[in-house]
Amino acid sequence: MSKSYFMGHYRMGNCTEKRLQTIIWFSTFSTLGVHDVHAGFVSVTGGSGSFVDSSFFLARRSIHPSVAHSRFTQQELPACKPILTPRWVISAFMLVSLVFIPIGVASLFASRDVVEIIDGYETHCIPQEFRNDKVKYIQTPGVKPCIRTMTVPKHMKKPIYVYYQLDNFYQNHRRYVKSRSDVQLRENKSENDVSSCEPEDIANGMPIVPCGLIAWSLFNDTYNFSRNNQPLTVNKKDISWKSDRDHKFGKNVFPKNFQSGKLVGGANLSSSIPLSEQEDLIVWMRTAALPTFRKLYGKIEVDLQKGEVINVTLENNYNTYSFNGKKKLVLSTTSWLGGKNDFLGIAYLTVGGLCLFLAMAFTVVYLIKPRRLGDPSYLSWNRNPGGH
Amino acid sequence: MNQIIINLETPEIKVLEKVGEKDAIAKASKESVFRQISEGKAQFTASSSKAFALIIDGKSLQYALDDDMKKLFLELALGCASVICCRSSPKQKALVTRLVKAGTRKTTLAIGDGANDVGMLQEADIGIGISGVEGMQAVMSSDIAIAQFRFLDRLLLVHGHWCYRRISSMICYFFYKNMTFGFTVFLYEAHTSFSAKPAYNDWFLSLYNVVFTSLPVIALGIFDQDVSARFCLKFPLLYQEGVQNVLFSWRRIIGWMFNGLCSAIIIFFLCTNALDPQAFNKDGKIAEFQILGATMYTCLLWVVNCQMALAVGYLNVVQHICIWGGIGFWYLFLLAYGAMPPKISTTAYKVFVEGLALAPSFWVVTFFVVISALIPYFLYNAIQRRFFPTYHGMLQWIGHEGLSDDPKYCKMLNQRSIRSITVGFTALSLGKNQRWES
Repeated sequence: MSKSYFMGHYRMGNCTEKRLQTIIWFSTFSTLGVHDVHAGFVSVTGGSGSFVDSSFFLARRSIHPSVAHSRFTQQELPACKPILTPRWVISAFMLVSLVFIPIGVASLFASRDVVEIIDGYETHCIPQEFRNDKVKYIQTPGVKPCIRTMTVPKHMKKPIYVYYQLDNFYQNHRRYVKSRSDVQLRENKSENDVSSCEPEDIANGMPIVPCGLIAWSLFNDTYNFSRNNQPLTVNKKDISWKSDRDHKFGKNVFPKNFQSGKLVGGANLSSSIPLSEQEDLIVWMRTAALPTFRKLYGKIEVDLQKGEVINVTLENNYNTYSFNGKKKLVLSTTSWLGGKNDFLGIAYLTVGGLCLFLAMAFTVVYLIKPRRLGDPSYLSWNRNPGGH
Repeated sequence: MNQIIINLETPEIKVLEKVGEKDAIAKASKESVFRQISEGKAQFTASSSKAFALIIDGKSLQYALDDDMKKLFLELALGCASVICCRSSPKQKALVTRLVKAGTRKTTLAIGDGANDVGMLQEADIGIGISGVEGMQAVMSSDIAIAQFRFLDRLLLVHGHWCYRRISSMICYFFYKNMTFGFTVFLYEAHTSFSAKPAYNDWFLSLYNVVFTSLPVIALGIFDQDVSARFCLKFPLLYQEGVQNVLFSWRRIIGWMFNGLCSAIIIFFLCTNALDPQAFNKDGKIAEFQILGATMYTCLLWVVNCQMALAVGYLNVVQHICIWGGIGFWYLFLLAYGAMPPKISTTAYKVFVEGLALAPSFWVVTFFVVISALIPYFLYNAIQRRFFPTYHGMLQWIGHEGLSDDPKYCKMLNQRSIRSITVGFTALSLGKNQRWES
């Protein structure tokens, strides 16, 4: 019986609806027990000069506590009903462009401030006579030194980050990513937990620490920098994430039986340094997202002046030639936004400009062809009797 | 309204009944009914613009529903504006309903209040029982129960329309959000040489549909109202949107899926190009798998939820809580999950606290990606409302501008049917000059 009361009452309330007041709905909803709310019917008070273009409202009647709780069941909860009026469309686009263009300019300036030197060396560091069989060269044992020079184009403020960049190296391949044992890296007592590390799990009958393909393929080119015959020290401390050093790599886990199989995949690790201090390994084991990636090698803690020539003595040990990979050495400063990437700034400016153009276009359209509500064209979907 | 009356009260039949021979009565009655139906049909086809009413009683109905005559009877009945079957038994009511259902393949609705209506209510696609004077039998065997007959128009025009709109919106949106999610994973796969490495942490993947995006959809399905109840009653033509299946056409479904595709492409390419391969924060750290995955997932959740806020025209408290609360819950989840030991949280360990929250590029990229992914839909909506408005869009506009009491606009919006229909003839002619009040 109560149901018919509410339905009947609702219907009665409808026809006495005239002008409404626009009230902020959330203040009245919970406290006043508003009765007979007509959420959804919108009317604007005031003339055309009124700034009240809001599209939500409440109607206040007498306060009736027993009715208040049924607003939920009667689907009369107060609501806002945003409608895409021309004003909203133009304002939205203008707002987006007004926000995006300054951010784009700021991002572009930040990116322009960053100085970056990139040197791809995988082809140049193979002596001329071995250019036809690079894989054979890289697999010959012994030191394979290479001298490169880099010129500083602009003043670079410390700290200057040294990265190595690899191309076409799928560190995100599923089987590669799986091939590690996190528990073995953390705890000394879980040394034998190598089940997920195949095929780099056991060598000579003993478990490998750290096991898995990721550790096995550790990058092993080394770089030594000098400027005017003065060596530049590269700080290799704190190049990994603190959480990795503290919680993922154990302080009492030492490399054991590492790279002792027939196939050596990368660098060797000193057995006397615990894993939590093997920062190169920690950086390498945080697998990259895409096939072209950089990893932090170290930091140079001095300024570099414009025009200085940096001599790099590097050891070309890592075999990227089997899979047509590329190796690059990168020196870069950073800004508040990170490294050098014009993309973000340009993208912001593009979208901001596009929105500005759309705002103008819509203003022109709304001025030239103002909307007429009484459009007598018939609804196309109502032409077929009961058809689709 | 012209009436076509079919009954067996003719003198010839009465004479035969006095004699009492069953076979002769049946044969004569059948012929009489056949003749009357044919005459009625001739009348009707001669002048199809007039409205006809067919009145048939239970005795004639018994013969009209015979297999050889029911097709003819159905044709006549469908051509009339109203059909009254009086003195019919419960079984005949059910048989008539079945005849209409099978013959027209349309959705039938039956309404009744007594125990004799039970057969009819069960037979129809939708059975509505009225609780009241004649007991609760009809209510117990019906799909929907109402208290008074006059609530039927509210049931159909308001709740029927809302229900249709809610279900179609919900399904389209569901396709959209899963399309967006799945396609970002697919695009990432192309960059991992299709080795099946997902772009996100395992738990992110599992909880996407269960926790992060489920509540807004449920709120949409329960609360969405594109047009207020008053307008639904005032402009009954809106109900035809459901009958003509305007809101769930293939075009709309594919349009939403295409929107998901565009959003996914925008999210993926903007995130990867903005964050890779250079450092993403001041300390020179690189955005590797964990950072990129968490950033993309954050953008994804923002886009999918804000799209919901843009697409529905009705946001009440519950929906606000679900949408914005859902996004806020994601950040809380990142914090909580990241705080769990690495054995459980694997790649998400402290990713937010250590990596994302302190890097301005994370916030800048998220903001940019979210707005950019929503611009295509916003633009489409603006253009559609301006140049190709839908019927319910026009009603929303009327309500917004406060023109709903203006009879001129109301009349214009009501006259949208170009089919000449005779259904509802009496109501139409009575209501022509009357103000459309509830």
